[in-house]
Amino acid sequence: MLKNWSAKFGYTGAGLTVFAAILTPFLLYGLFTNAFASLGLHVDEMYSGGPKERTIPAAGYSIDIHRQVSPHMLQREKAFVQLDWRPATALPSHVSDVVDIDGDGKPDVRVSFDVPKDPKAPLRVDVDSLNPRYQAMHNVGKQKFSELIVRVDDAILVRIPVTQ
Amino acid sequence: MAKALPVREPRSIGRSLLLTLPIALWSALMFTPNWAHANRSFRIACLLTGGFMVVLFFLMMRTWKTYRWRRWFFVALGLLFPVGFIHNVIAMRGTMGIPIEEMIAGRTPFCFIPIPLLIVPAALTKTLVFPGSILPNGGMTGGMAAMAGIWLAVTIVVGKGWCSYACFFGGIEEGMAAVPAKAKVPIIDSRWRLGPWAVLLAMVLLSLALFEPAYCMWLCPFKAVSEYVAARNSVGLVQNGIFILLFATLVMALPLLTKKRTQCAFFCPFGAFQSIFNKTSVFEVKIDRTRCTPCVLCQKSCPTLALNDESIARGETLMSCMKCGACVDACPKDAAVWHIRGTEIAAKPERARLMFLYAAWAMAVMFGGTIIAEGLATILHLVL
Amino acid sequence: MATGFAFGEALGLGLASGPACVASCGPVLIPSLLAEHTGLRLHARYLSAFLATRLLGYLLFAGVAWEVGALVSLPAPARLWMFAIIHLLLGGALLWYAYRVGRECQRSCASSQLVTIGAGKHPVPGAAVLGFLTGVSLCPPFVAAGVRAAEAATVAGAILFFAVFFVGTSVWFLPFAGMGWIRRSEAVITVARMAMVLIAAYYLFSGLAILIRRF
Repeated sequence: MLKNWSAKFGYTGAGLTVFAAILTPFLLYGLFTNAFASLGLHVDEMYSGGPKERTIPAAGYSIDIHRQVSPHMLQREKAFVQLDWRPATALPSHVSDVVDIDGDGKPDVRVSFDVPKDPKAPLRVDVDSLNPRYQAMHNVGKQKFSELIVRVDDAILVRIPVTQ
Repeated sequence: MAKALPVREPRSIGRSLLLTLPIALWSALMFTPNWAHANRSFRIACLLTGGFMVVLFFLMMRTWKTYRWRRWFFVALGLLFPVGFIHNVIAMRGTMGIPIEEMIAGRTPFCFIPIPLLIVPAALTKTLVFPGSILPNGGMTGGMAAMAGIWLAVTIVVGKGWCSYACFFGGIEEGMAAVPAKAKVPIIDSRWRLGPWAVLLAMVLLSLALFEPAYCMWLCPFKAVSEYVAARNSVGLVQNGIFILLFATLVMALPLLTKKRTQCAFFCPFGAFQSIFNKTSVFEVKIDRTRCTPCVLCQKSCPTLALNDESIARGETLMSCMKCGACVDACPKDAAVWHIRGTEIAAKPERARLMFLYAAWAMAVMFGGTIIAEGLATILHLVL
Repeated sequence: MATGFAFGEALGLGLASGPACVASCGPVLIPSLLAEHTGLRLHARYLSAFLATRLLGYLLFAGVAWEVGALVSLPAPARLWMFAIIHLLLGGALLWYAYRVGRECQRSCASSQLVTIGAGKHPVPGAAVLGFLTGVSLCPPFVAAGVRAAEAATVAGAILFFAVFFVGTSVWFLPFAGMGWIRRSEAVITVARMAMVLIAAYYLFSGLAILIRRF
């Protein structure tokens, strides 16, 4: 009798598995995808740059300031703060802005870079440190996640390492 | 040695067609939804792929064999995935190398292999250590959530059968392993089959320590047929050199020499991870000890060394069994059989095989079939 | 001397940094623990040796660095050299450890002794070597503790700060003694050895890459 019940359970499981296969494109796939998306996970800020905290308006464009990103565990990158100049199409051919990153009313860095007409052209940035908390950068491209200038869609992103 | 059973007569055409009918309907359902919006190349590709999958299933029914027909699908998947993927990558950004801009924008396509590496960092810090997006972000794929969703669904249905019915990389080495008539290196130390577990352990620990997908950065051989991080410095060059070397040895050369799926059997950490789900899968392969002689033909035919003397004596495969059906097809005494947990071994093996194949082939049509169609459409679009 | 406030701060910093310490030591600790044989007592002895020499590494670094005024601002080139050398030593130690596990298993896999490495008449438990090397590796929690310990008025104060910090981090290591309950088989030990080789390869490459870039 035990064998019978065991076999019944087995075939029921097999039947349910076939049923699950049929349900996958119509229900299960969407269900699992939404469940994963709702877990409250986020992509490592070393890649994403951290959430935007505030925006500074400028002449025809704006500068978004992101929250400082600190390395996890043994990440070899430094802590950094990301600034976005957008829209890139509205930027002058040479940008040189003094930015108050921490919002204390005092200037922290001067960021200077050329904006080439070709959006695929490589970018280089100079950062003068007016606050010792932020590291100066000279002619930096995109070597590291924590210290770079890149164009992503219609924004130019600059990441400035933070001294800890 | 006792004589093998006489070769079984093929199943009747009528009965084979009847058994194939559900798969034919399923294929029509899977390949026609976007018919109105598809271009000519994609429609032709869908027709060809749907027909291909239906014909293979029909042959599985007619000949009572699984492995040799499944292998055609799997090799096609392994060959056509890179065609579609690389074409899309180059169309989008002009290079197979992933520039840092794409990583920052969260548009790095996510494959299933890093899934086990992301679990511990995500559990501890709610952070996904992968430069992708959780939801679709204008990139090539539907985001990490979509891949996780399909992975979970297919795993629930077939367990480690993912490695035989869904993995879009394994077909390359399965094809390479099929090329030579005989193995030049017939004997392999069975301890090498523990390699995937070692790679999994090492990569999970390094991924947590370095907070990056360590396998993707250092060891994935399939970057040769998909994409890779564009080298920005000497470390990047070394990383790219490693993956080329691993692809050449594990995916090309060693399968040719051994006639085994060496990357899958000795290296792939995702395969080790999927082995865990063989414990939860209702379908499995068993050895009927009352019929087994043992001739160990099953052991020799297994592409991933999932059978050894001890497991055969116990009447079962090892955890690493991919449910490819090679051993079942090779067994001359019908001792290696498909089995549903809880039922008697070898009571109704063909029923177990049918139920498994309906589930597995449905997944294969839905997932792998779509990828094959896209690859085929790419070729047709270039040619027509 | 460290005040009660600094004591609490050191302990709190240690407890908060513990997970990061475990994560950074994990690639060394877990495969080498897995390569040991079954037994709670054996694992407790392993952890004792590992943590004792890790403490020694902490205190040695604290004392030397405080004396040379390098706790806060170890010059970048010196830090890179140290990092590279420690990584090379870790890689070498892991390889040696994996080799010794294989040798000892050939004689008897039921040993109640810790795996030893080193030549000569008095081989050292591998756990001790690995513990010391992880103790002097400059992981971020270690560096953070160094910055705080530099404020101590005396070298004794700095050493005491590190010692208490160490206690805080070590709390997180104690549960790993539970790995002694995992039944070891030849398969488990083989997996551990292979993993050690892979991780050693990473450390060796990492150390070499730094040295090559320096030159």
